[in-house]
Formats: sequence, structure tokens, C-alpha cells
Amino acid sequence: MNPILADIYSTILPSAPYLIAAYALLWVALLVYVLIIFRGTKKAEAQLMLLEEAVADQQIKTQ
Amino acid sequence: MADKKKLKLPEVGQWPDKLMAPALIAGAVLTTLGFLMAFFIVPPVGGAAVDGVELIGDSMVSQKMLLSQKIFYFHMPVAITSFLGMAFGCYYAVRFLMTKNQRFDTCSRICLEISLLFIIMTMITGEMWTRFEWGVWWSWEPRLTTYLILMLIVIAYFVLRSSVDEPERRATFAAVIAIIATVDVPICFMITRLIPSSIHPVVLREGGMSPEMGMCVGLCALGMLLVGFALYRARFNQVRLTQRVEALKESLED
Repeated sequence: MNPILADIYSTILPSAPYLIAAYALLWVALLVYVLIIFRGTKKAEAQLMLLEEAVADQQIKTQ
Repeated sequence: MADKKKLKLPEVGQWPDKLMAPALIAGAVLTTLGFLMAFFIVPPVGGAAVDGVELIGDSMVSQKMLLSQKIFYFHMPVAITSFLGMAFGCYYAVRFLMTKNQRFDTCSRICLEISLLFIIMTMITGEMWTRFEWGVWWSWEPRLTTYLILMLIVIAYFVLRSSVDEPERRATFAAVIAIIATVDVPICFMITRLIPSSIHPVVLREGGMSPEMGMCVGLCALGMLLVGFALYRARFNQVRLTQRVEALKESLED
């Protein structure tokens, strides 16, 4: 390869792992937070269902 | 009493919820476009001069091409989003101190949570750039130091929250910490201007962005702000659902 071109492109390959890591970790952080919200919602919905069942049981008992 | 009735509280199902899905989709589209633009349209910036000139494409190049600079297109937008999250967190903290209504504390906490997420994303992208360009994982450079202080205050905010049981005291302390943390935001933003010896790049002041670069940063910034807003509303809906379930549980136990 032309030495001037080699010099021009000399930082491209060494910087690639850092660039890929930056973008990958950025999206991983976002994804983790989305998963936290999703899990929290699922947990709250499950508890709500249990509460609804408990309320229904109580109503039957009082009748 | 009349004032309390007039007080409009943030709640699930209000108009921001209607914007949540469109904001998330628009945010995803804009950040994707920004990503593609950063790598396929915006030319790489030049670094140190090389010993000669070469014709690449239709331009003469006499500098090293810096691929690492492409990190900037997402680094700056996530930092802006973290600052905005702090600003909203402070707003809700002030509203809590004025009204003592726990709903504003919830909003403030979620804003700071979103802000911490974006602070971590800024740190990650910044660290990767610093490691390659400066050859170190950390430098006590003014912008990095003030941003680290911001991150530590936000972490302290959550540590404090988990260590106080009484809701009103916890919310009051947390509101004060949120306001103190927000004071660091303008300092952090202006520090590279206030200390000229700083080695942190100041692209906005120095006009170092071409129109393509500016457009790319703008797309990513708008996209990240929309993603941040959608995440805030999604988290708010989840937290409110959890709070309502807890309240129902307590009333059933009674």
C-alpha cells in the first residue's frame, strides 16, 4: 500500500474496537433499562391479578 | 384544600402517554438515521498531518482519518439528554417542595433515573473515545471531573433514598439533592469555556462542525430526546401501577 495512504488510514483499524464497544454498550445500557421497566410492569400486573382474585374470594365469603 | 383540588398531578393516561409510542418509534428511526448518516454520509474528520497528500474520492487528503470521532455523534446527544433529565428532575423536585405531594417526588425520581442512565451512556462513549485518543481510561480533565461529580451526586441521591424510610423526609432530602445535582449541570456544560486550558473538544464554540456533522448530531440528539421521553413515560406508568397495587394491598390488609 502507498505509505501516505497507509498513514492516512493508520488509526482506522486500531480505533474500531473502541468504536464498536461504545455503540454496543450504549444500546446494551438502553436495553437493560427497557427490560427493567418490562419486568416491573409484568410483576405489577401479576400482583394485580392476585389482588383481584383475593377481592373476588372475599366477596364470595361475605355473601 | 381548594388549592389541593386545583393541583393537576401527572397521572397515567394523560396526553403525554398518547405521545409515548410515536416518540419511541420516531426516536428509533431518527437514531438509526443518525447512525447510518454518521458512518455512510458524514466524512471522517482529519487528525494529525501526514507527510504528503493523497486523492481520496474527490478530495485531497493530507491528514490522518479519525474513525474514533464517530463516537461523538451519539456521545453529545446522550449527554444533552442527561442534562435535560436533570432539569426536569429539578423542576419536579421544586414542585414537590412547594406542594409536598408525593407524585412530584415520583416524577423527580424517575427523571433522575433516566438521567443516570444517560449519564452512564455518556460515560461509556466518552471513556471509549478517551482510551483511544488520549491513551488513558481516565483523565482529571475539567469536563470529565465535573461530569463525574454529577454522576456521583445522582448515585448519592439513590443511596439516600434507599436509606430513609419515612416517605416525606425521604422525598424532601431527595428533592434537595436533586436541586444541588442540577446546579452542577450548567457548570459541567460551561466548564470547557470557563477553563480555556481544557483539552476537551468544544465543537459548538469553535464551529468545528460541517453542515453534515451538525445535521447528524441534530438527528441523533432529537432521536435520543424522544427515546428519553418515551422511557420516562414507560417507567412512570410502571411505577404508578406498582404504587396503585401497593395501595390496594394495604387497603385490603386493613
